Amino acid sequence: MEKLTIKGLRHYLGFPMGLLLALTLALPIIALLVNSLSFGWHWPDLFPQAITNRAWSYVLSTTSGTYASVGLSLEIALIVTLINLVLGMPGAYALARYSFRGKLLVEGIVYAPIIVPAFVSTMGIQMTFLRLGLTESVLGVILAHLAPTLPYMVRALIISFQTLEPSLEDQARTLGAGWWQCFWQISLPHLVPGIVAGASLSILISLSQYLITFLIGGGQVVTLPLLMFPFINGGDLAIGSAYSILFSGMAGLALYAMSWVLKHYYGKRLDFHI
Amino acid sequence: MNHLYLKGIEKGYYHSDSDSFELNIPQLTIQEGELFALLGPSGCGKTTLLKVVAGLLEPDRGEVLLGDQTISKIPTEKRGLGMVFQQALLFPHMTVEANVAFGLKMKGISKGVRLEKAKSMLKAVGLSGFGDRFPAELSGGQQQRVSLARALVTCPQVLLLDEPFSSLDPELREEMRDLLKGLQQDYKLTTLLVTHDVNEAFVLADKIGIMKQGRIMQIDQPQILYENPNSPEIALFLGARNVIYGQLSQGVFRTGSFKLAVPGKEEFYQQSGWIVLRSENLKLCPVPASTEFSQINRDLILRGSVVKSVFSQGSYHVTVQIESQSVNLSFPADQSSKPGLGEALELTYDPQSLVFIPEY
Repeated sequence: MEKLTIKGLRHYLGFPMGLLLALTLALPIIALLVNSLSFGWHWPDLFPQAITNRAWSYVLSTTSGTYASVGLSLEIALIVTLINLVLGMPGAYALARYSFRGKLLVEGIVYAPIIVPAFVSTMGIQMTFLRLGLTESVLGVILAHLAPTLPYMVRALIISFQTLEPSLEDQARTLGAGWWQCFWQISLPHLVPGIVAGASLSILISLSQYLITFLIGGGQVVTLPLLMFPFINGGDLAIGSAYSILFSGMAGLALYAMSWVLKHYYGKRLDFHI
Repeated sequence: MNHLYLKGIEKGYYHSDSDSFELNIPQLTIQEGELFALLGPSGCGKTTLLKVVAGLLEPDRGEVLLGDQTISKIPTEKRGLGMVFQQALLFPHMTVEANVAFGLKMKGISKGVRLEKAKSMLKAVGLSGFGDRFPAELSGGQQQRVSLARALVTCPQVLLLDEPFSSLDPELREEMRDLLKGLQQDYKLTTLLVTHDVNEAFVLADKIGIMKQGRIMQIDQPQILYENPNSPEIALFLGARNVIYGQLSQGVFRTGSFKLAVPGKEEFYQQSGWIVLRSENLKLCPVPASTEFSQINRDLILRGSVVKSVFSQGSYHVTVQIESQSVNLSFPADQSSKPGLGEALELTYDPQSLVFIPEY
């Protein structure tokens, strides 16, 4: 009998495993697609009674508010990510490079939003924002989205800063590079993979926020999750399915666009993965 | 005038809890075009001093002057220095050519000019044709050559070298030393080299400063320094194998039952101190010294027995017990057969080569 080796295993199981993986990823999408095109698909029918484009024509119609909420979702995610970068960069630099009294406490506070349930902090944020008059506004939602996204950005940037050799900056300075040139020419290119990682997470988390957007926006700031929720929650599953596919497409495209821009800016000199 | 002058530099230096001291350099001048080596063991503060000169560290007190101008308040990037570190520290996302041209780019020199200069500098370090590669595609020695080219291409007023070759293989190190010496002389660069490698300092430097615990112990030209160390530590550090503590009185040095004639040093009377007896100045007597054919002055003969005998790189390294003192010597292996343990040897020495360091 042939000896059972890793290589042998890969040979025999490679194809079935790959197929299984592909199915795991594709099946939900296929189910959603079928669901979004069906008309009156009830238990115990194996197939829908009829195929219709009703859900899609509603979702893509101008009256549904889809385009506005996709635009708003992307706008919020983009601004949140930019604010995260601006806030995270100096914060991550300090946490990576310096040791100071109370560093652990500061790190704890930065990471707290991903440890403490979002619901808890959001209730507090809402009370404060009510007083400040920030509820029911896009600005309020943007600020509230910072809480669950900033920790990921800071974490990714800290790791990038930790792997950046400080003597590389010393070397650049001896060659005549000032503070800004050091950052722009030497540090930033090294940080790009970390920025990509942090920004991807920040965009994805911001796009998928429902509870925070709902509570702080008070239903007035209608991002895509808010728009689709009533449909998924029993309203109309066909339309809910169409929105789900649209949402995945939007998130995927946003990530792809970001990596495309960065890759074209930095050329092939950098390897990074999303 | 581009000489470098350090005045009253003080800097608290904390290597670790047990090893903290203050860098204290009352004054130090490095002449224009001179290659000055700061030689000392690791952790003696020599890199700290170099960083103070570069402006990467701020001294607690003191001034750095270039020519007649103080540069203490000028930030690193405006000091016009070139620096090469222990690691090549090439910017990984730039090509070799872009790395070399970086300093010129910072000076605002147009792309065409700076790439041309970078090309010719790469040629000078023997790397023409490597311009389009990325640092990761080069060997360690090549990377360090690029680093050197990058520091030189801006025509710095002073070149600072922080153990630039210590991470290279021995053969490569020698090649790099020759390259550096050639370039330094061609460009008449005022150069401050920091190293813990005695050989490197002696091969390269016009002048050497020995550093210990944040202080410069002795400064002189290599040969003078070697022949006249002013402390037993320096003598040992520079490779003297026999530094013996004892008393010199009327031309005879004594420690225990060991006696050594030191002609020409009759002025000392019961002076404690160290005698430096270099292993290369000790010789085997060719014929038994007791025979009348011997030409050797009988006062300059030492008799002892071998306690250790090792062959290495064409020489025998032998430890001989002479009375109460063990003495190390080396001689070429072709001069005699390998001395066996316990074998009696007769040695002689050149009294002119003896150095006596009085204890005060």
